[in-house]
Amino acid sequence: MGDLVERITFGNAVEVKVVLASVALALAVYQLALISVGYGRVRPSFLSARAASWTHRASGDAIVVVLVVVALMCVSVFGFADDAVLHAVAGCALLVVLAVKIAVLRWWTSAGRFLPVLGLAVFALLSLTWLTSAGQFLADD
Amino acid sequence: MTERPSHRAQLIGSVAVGLVIVAVAIAIVTATFGPTSAAELESLEKRQKERTERLEERLEHEERLREERREGRD
Repeated sequence: MGDLVERITFGNAVEVKVVLASVALALAVYQLALISVGYGRVRPSFLSARAASWTHRASGDAIVVVLVVVALMCVSVFGFADDAVLHAVAGCALLVVLAVKIAVLRWWTSAGRFLPVLGLAVFALLSLTWLTSAGQFLADD
Repeated sequence: MTERPSHRAQLIGSVAVGLVIVAVAIAIVTATFGPTSAAELESLEKRQKERTERLEERLEHEERLREERREGRD
């Protein structure tokens, strides 16, 4: 799998991972803005809560795909390195919380009141995962 | 008060904003990398190798000319 990732990225696995993770983080910030419109906390004249919620869902689906790809690349190329414990823990926790959030959205709809907390937890964990890997890489660059 | 755009226009607009955010994120992050990608380093190595080969060929040619001149004098 690691060889496949290296071949697909032409030997730039780290750079591709950093770009994808940064795209996910940028979209996550947009997600916060969209859901504040969706929940009616912010009421812009040009965007309804319904449209904002629809885009939030669509953008969220895209983020999930990107994050799964990044996670697979990360584990296959780097594994669980001893010098990146915080990154590994934050990344694993992110995927678990994301899975719970998707489960609440699709099946456990009665637990819908926890969605804002789960969403904020996803954002916090994504930020921490990004800071402990891509952020450090970009700062060193 | 201004009238709100249609639902379809709002959807298209909000998705377009998302796409712009993706494009800007990619542009900013790739710009910080600079010429460090494996593909660029490979092409740099290739260019250096070609330059070295051309230099070696020129030196060999000059050496050959020098020898020919020397043989002509003898």
